Amino acid sequence: MSESSVPEFRKTRYFNPYVGGVALGIVLLLAFYISGRGLGASGAIKSTIVAGIDKIAPKHAESTAFYTEYAESHPNGPMKNWLVFEMLGVLIGGFISGAIHGRLKLQVEHSPKITSKKRILFALLGGILFGLGSQLGRGCTSGSALTGMAVLSVGGFVSMMFIFGTAYALAYFARKLWI
Amino acid sequence: MKNIRILLATVYVPVALVLAFAPVKTNKPANLTPQQLLEEVNSSVQFVSPDAVADRIIQQDPFLQLIDVRTPEEFEKFSLPGAINIPLSQLFAEEYQGILNQSDYTNIFYSNGTIFSSEAWVLTRMKGYENNYVLMGGLNYWAETIMNPEKPADTNPNEEVAKYNFRKGASQALGGGAMESADQGSILSAPKPPIKKTDKKKRVAGGC
Amino acid sequence: MGPLIIYENISPDTNFFLAFLIGIAFGFILEASGFSSSRKLAGQFYGYDTTVLKVFFTAAITAGIGLLLFGLFGWLDLDLIYINPFYKWSTIIGGILMGAGFILGGFCPGTSFTGAAIGKIDAMVFVGGLFIGVLLFTEGYPLLEKLYMGSYKGTPKVSSAMGISDGLFLFGLVIVAFGMFWVAEWAEKRFPLKEESK
Repeated sequence: MSESSVPEFRKTRYFNPYVGGVALGIVLLLAFYISGRGLGASGAIKSTIVAGIDKIAPKHAESTAFYTEYAESHPNGPMKNWLVFEMLGVLIGGFISGAIHGRLKLQVEHSPKITSKKRILFALLGGILFGLGSQLGRGCTSGSALTGMAVLSVGGFVSMMFIFGTAYALAYFARKLWI
Repeated sequence: MKNIRILLATVYVPVALVLAFAPVKTNKPANLTPQQLLEEVNSSVQFVSPDAVADRIIQQDPFLQLIDVRTPEEFEKFSLPGAINIPLSQLFAEEYQGILNQSDYTNIFYSNGTIFSSEAWVLTRMKGYENNYVLMGGLNYWAETIMNPEKPADTNPNEEVAKYNFRKGASQALGGGAMESADQGSILSAPKPPIKKTDKKKRVAGGC
Repeated sequence: MGPLIIYENISPDTNFFLAFLIGIAFGFILEASGFSSSRKLAGQFYGYDTTVLKVFFTAAITAGIGLLLFGLFGWLDLDLIYINPFYKWSTIIGGILMGAGFILGGFCPGTSFTGAAIGKIDAMVFVGGLFIGVLLFTEGYPLLEKLYMGSYKGTPKVSSAMGISDGLFLFGLVIVAFGMFWVAEWAEKRFPLKEESK
C-alpha cells in the first residue's frame, strides 16, 4: 500500500462546487433554450449499442423487436442523435479541463485499502448495473435526475431519490471500497 | 466557500420567492414547422363537405362560423347564411385575430372556388390557429350540390337517394331552386369537424 | 423565443452542432468541479466530500429558476420543453440499480466519460460496463418489456401533483437545497477521510 496520506483528489484545485453548480445550471438552461431538452448521457450509450448491433449483426437487428422498434422511431439512424453529439463534446470538454488543470494521467484511482484490480472489477460491475438501470429508468443522473428536477418532473425526483437513496443504503456495505 | 454559499442564498431565495407569486404565463399559439404543416395538408384534414355545412346551418348550430374570404363587394352580392366577411388581404388585421384564433367556434373559410379559402387556412394554420376549416369546392360546388342537387337514378343505392333528398330540402331551406344539373360530380363527404381546444404544438422529444 | 429548434427553425444540423458545444461545456464543468474522480464522487455517501450534492442541487435550482424566469419574460415556451415521462416501477427499479452501480462503481455515465477523458482507467472500465449493461437491456428486452412499459403515469410535475404552482414548489426546493448545503458543510467536518484527519 502506498504511503500517501493525502488522496490525489485533494491535491489538485477544483472549482468551488457552488460556482460549478451555477455554471452547470446555466448550461442546462441553454440546452433547453436551444433544443427544448435538457442534458443526458446514457442515451448516447444506447445509440452506440444499436448502431453497433446494426453493423456487426444486422440479421439479428432485423429480427429482434427492440432494434426494429428503435429503427422505426429513429429514421435518421441511431447516431444522428442529440445525445451522441453532446457526449462527444463531454469527452472533449473533460479532456480540455484535465489538460488545463494538469490532471491528465493514465491511472486507476482507488482507495489505498483495496488493490487496483479490485477497483477495476467493481467499476465494471458498477457500470453494468448502472447501464441496465439507466435504460429502465429512462435516464441517468444527468438526464433523468438533474434535468428532471429542473423541470420539476415527478419522474426526475423519483429517479433521484432512488438513485441516491440506494447508494446511501448500500454505502455501509461498500465502505471498504472507499474509506 | 461560506461566502459563496451565503451570496448564492441571498440571490436565489428572493428570486424564487418572487417567482412563487408570479403569474402563470398563458402562451400564444406556436407557429407550426413547415414539415408539420405539410403533413396536415397531405392528409386533407381541413376540408369540410357542403353537406356537412348545410346540415349545421339547418340545425342552427350556434358554434358554426362561416367566413367569406372574398372582397367586400362580392360578399355584398351573395353570402352564405350567417357568414362574416374577412377579405383574404386583411387576414391578419388585428380585429380578426380574436375570431381566427380561438377554441369555441368552428370557422369555415369559403370563397368561390377553393384557392383563396385554402390560402386562408394555410396562413392561419401556420400561426398555430386551430378550429379553422375550408369549404370543399367553395361556392361553386355549393351551388352544384346544395342549391341544385343532382337527382340520382332510381337504381342508385339508398344513401345516394337520401343524400339527394337532404340536399333538396337543404336548398329549399337555404333559398335555392332545384334545377336539373348536367354533370355528375363525385360525392365527397368528410365527417363533421369536431371542436378541438386550442392546444400547444408538439413538445420536443428527449430523454435518454 | 425558445426553444430555438421550434420557434427559430434552426436546422437539425445546427442543433447537433450546438449540442456538441453544450457537451464541451458540460464536460469541462464536470471535470473542473471534480467529477472525474471516483473517490470524490463516492465521498458524497460517506460524508467526506459533498461536492456532488452541492453541484447537483445548485445546478438544478439554477436551471429551475432560469426556466421559470425565461418563461415569465416570454423568452422560452415552457409548454414545449421536454418533461420526463413517469413509468413508476421502471423508474424505481432503474433508480435502485443505478444507485447500486453508483456506490460500487463510483461513477455515473456523464462523469465516467469525463474521467475516461483524463485517463482514469477505472472510468474507462465503468464505461465498458455501461455498454454491457445497456446490451443486457436491449437483448433482454422481451423479458423487461412489461416492466419498462408498465405503470405509465404520464408526465406529471411534482408541483401539479401537490396542487401548488411551479414557482411555489421551486421556492420550497430552493429552501430545502440551502438547508442541505448547510448540513453538507457540517458533514464534511464531521466525517473526514481517515487519511486526512491527522
